[in-house]
Amino acid sequence: MTVFYIRRLFQMALVLLISAIATYTLLNFAPGGPLAGLRQIQQTGRFQITEDDIARIRAYFELDLYLPYRFMRWFVGWPTGPVEIGGREYFSDVVVGCRKPVETEVLNDDGEYEIQVTGCNELVYMKDLTGRRVSRGIIRGDFGLSWRLLRDRPVSELIISRLPKTIQLIGLSTLLSLFIGIPLGIYSAVKQYSRFDYIFTSLAFMGSAMPTFFFGIVMILLFSLIPKEAGWLYVPAGLSESVRGYTIPLLGEVAAGSVKDRILHLILPVAVLTIVNISYYSRFVRGSMLEVMRQDYIRTARAKGLLERVVIMKHALRNALIPFITIVVFTLPGLFSGAIITESIFAWPGMGRLYLLALGDYDYPVAMAIFFIIAVLTVIATLLRDVLYTIVDPRIRLS
Amino acid sequence: MTADSQVATLSAEAITIEERTPFQIVLNRFKRHRLAMVASIVMLAIFGITIFAPVIAPFKIQELSVNKYFAPWGTVDEETGRTHYMGTDNIGRDYFSRLIYAGRISLTVAILSVIIAETIGITVGAISGFFGGWVDAVLMRFVEFMLTIPTLPLLLIISSMLLRNDELINIPDPILQFMGNILLLSPRDSRNAVLIVLVLAGFGWLSAAQLMRGTVLSLREQTFVEASRSLGASNFRIIMRDMIPNAMAPIIVDASLGLAGYIVGEAALAFLGFGIQDPVPTWGNMLSASQQFMLDRPWLPLVPGLPIFICSLAFNYIGDGLRDALDPRLKL
Repeated sequence: MTVFYIRRLFQMALVLLISAIATYTLLNFAPGGPLAGLRQIQQTGRFQITEDDIARIRAYFELDLYLPYRFMRWFVGWPTGPVEIGGREYFSDVVVGCRKPVETEVLNDDGEYEIQVTGCNELVYMKDLTGRRVSRGIIRGDFGLSWRLLRDRPVSELIISRLPKTIQLIGLSTLLSLFIGIPLGIYSAVKQYSRFDYIFTSLAFMGSAMPTFFFGIVMILLFSLIPKEAGWLYVPAGLSESVRGYTIPLLGEVAAGSVKDRILHLILPVAVLTIVNISYYSRFVRGSMLEVMRQDYIRTARAKGLLERVVIMKHALRNALIPFITIVVFTLPGLFSGAIITESIFAWPGMGRLYLLALGDYDYPVAMAIFFIIAVLTVIATLLRDVLYTIVDPRIRLS
Repeated sequence: MTADSQVATLSAEAITIEERTPFQIVLNRFKRHRLAMVASIVMLAIFGITIFAPVIAPFKIQELSVNKYFAPWGTVDEETGRTHYMGTDNIGRDYFSRLIYAGRISLTVAILSVIIAETIGITVGAISGFFGGWVDAVLMRFVEFMLTIPTLPLLLIISSMLLRNDELINIPDPILQFMGNILLLSPRDSRNAVLIVLVLAGFGWLSAAQLMRGTVLSLREQTFVEASRSLGASNFRIIMRDMIPNAMAPIIVDASLGLAGYIVGEAALAFLGFGIQDPVPTWGNMLSASQQFMLDRPWLPLVPGLPIFICSLAFNYIGDGLRDALDPRLKL
C-alpha cells in the first residue's frame, strides 16, 4: 500500500512537471508576447526606439534567455549565475541566451516576407546572470512579478487579492449544492417512478445539458434586468459590489460596499454554480441510491422490521455516499475551471476572470501561476480520491 | 392437401414471427424513447436549415446594411426587397442569416471534432486493449496524464496561442480549402475553425480511448475471437472485423453525447473570446456580442443562446435513446 502511494506521489509530481513545461513552452514559444506593442511603435516610427532599448526590455522580461534556462529560473529559481565551488567559478562561459538577435526578412513558401531570427549579435553568458533579479521559483511559492496587469508587483499579491472572492463563490455554492442536491437525490430515488421523480430527473437532465454561460445570461435576464425594468424586486448582477448606492423595491436603500450589497451581488453567481452542481450531484446520488436499494442487506434490514427511515438513512445512504464522496472531492478543482465561465459572465473579480484577463493581456507570469495552482489542486484531488476510496471502502485494493 | 399438412402450415405461421434485421430491432427500440425521437426530428430540421443555408439566408454573413443598426424584426431592405427576418445587429448585418451560417459552422466544427476524436480514440483504445503489455501501459499512462490536466484552462492557453499566431502551425492549403467549401467561407477565414477542431479533438479522444480499451479487453476473451484466430486470421483482421464492429455500441453513444459536449465547448471558447473570432459568426461569439447590448435589448441573447441549448439537449436525449436502444445494460 505504502509503495502504491509513493509511486502515485512520484507520478503526480511528474504530471505537474510535464504540464508546467508544456504550458510554459506553449506560452513562451509564440512570437509577439509582451513585445508585440513595442514592435508596432517601432514600425510607426513616431518614437526612436534603438536596438539597445529593445535589448534592455527583452532582458527585463528575461526574453533574452533561451527557453530551458528561462523555465528553470521561473520554476526553481536557478541558475542565478556561475556555480561557485571553493572560490572558483564554473560554467561562467556557458551561453544562456542572446541579447540582440539578428532579424532578417525572409521570403517564405507562400511568397510573403516574414521576420525570422537568423543569428545573434551579442550572446548572454552565465556570468551575466549574476545580480539579475530572479524569483525564488514557483516550486517555493514565488510566482514572480506581473508583466502587465499590475506591472512589477508580485503575482502572488494579485492572486491573493482575488482568491477570497473565488473561494467565497465556490465554497458557498458547493455547500449549498451538497445540502440541496443530496436530499433531492435521495428523495427522488426513494420515490422512484413517482411524479416528483419524473419531473426532477427531467429537470436535472436539462440542467446538465445547459451550457453555464447561457444559463448565467438567462438568470441575469430573469432576475435582474427584466424585473428592474418593470420596477419589481430584482437582484443586482455584475461585479462583487456596486460602485454607488441604489434602491431595490421591498429591500429599500442599499449602500455601495455594504454587507447587504455584497450579499445581493453573491446571489446570482452562486445560484448559477449551485444549480449546475445540483443537477450533477443529485443525479449521481439518485443512481447510486437506486443501486444500493436493490442489495440484499437492504432487504434484510427491512425484513428485520426496521423503520423505513432507518433503513434509508442508516443502511442505504451510507453505502450510497461512498462513491459520491470521491466525486465531490474531484469536482473541487473542476469548480475553479467552472468558475472561469461564471466569473466572466458576472464580471466577478475572482481568479477565473484574472486568468482570462492575463491570457488576453500577455501577462504570462499571472496566467502560468493560476494554471499551476489549478493543476496542483487537481493533482491533490486525484491523490485524495484514491486515498478516500480505500478509507471509505476497505474492499477496494489498490495496486 | 391432407388435413395433417394443413395443421402443419397453420402452426408454422403461428410460431414464425416477422424476420427483423438487427438494425430494425435497434430502430424499433429507439422509437420507443419518445424524447429521443423528438430530439432527432428537431436536429434533422436544424441540419436541414444549415445545409441549405445559402438558399434560405437572404443575406451574406458580412453584408452590411448601411444606416440600419439594430433594425427591428421583419424590416425590408428597400433596394433589393429582401427581408431582415430577425433584424440586424449593431453594425447592420442580417441577424437571421448570420444565425443560420453560425449554426452551419458550429455543427460542422462539432461533427468534425467527433469524427476525429472517435477515430483516434478507437485506434488507440483498440491497440492498447488488444496488445496489452508495455504498449497498453504507455498509452494508458499517457491518457491518464492528459486527463489529470485541468481541461478548460489548458484549452484556453492553447487556443489563445494558436489564434493569435498565424505562423505557429502551418495548416496545408487543401484542408483550409476543404473547410472553406463546407463552411462557405474563404480558406483564410476557416483557419480558426480548423484550429478549434484540432484543439477540441485533441482533448476529446481520451474518453473514447478508455471506453474502447475496456470493451476490447472484454471482447478479447470471447470465443468468437478465439475462433477467428484458430482460422488463421491476422491481428489486423481480428481488430477490424471482430473487435471494432462489436465495440461500436458504446462508441456510438459516446459520440452522440460528445457532439453535445463539442457544441457547448466550441461555444464556450468563442464566448470567452478564445474561439472563432467575430467576422465569422458562431453561436458562441454571437451570444458573447449580444451580452453588451443586453441592457437595451434583453431578448437578444436568447436568439443565439437557445440554439446552443437546444442542440446540446437534443444530442443528450439522442445519446440517451441510443444507449437504451443499442444495449439496455450499457451504462456510461
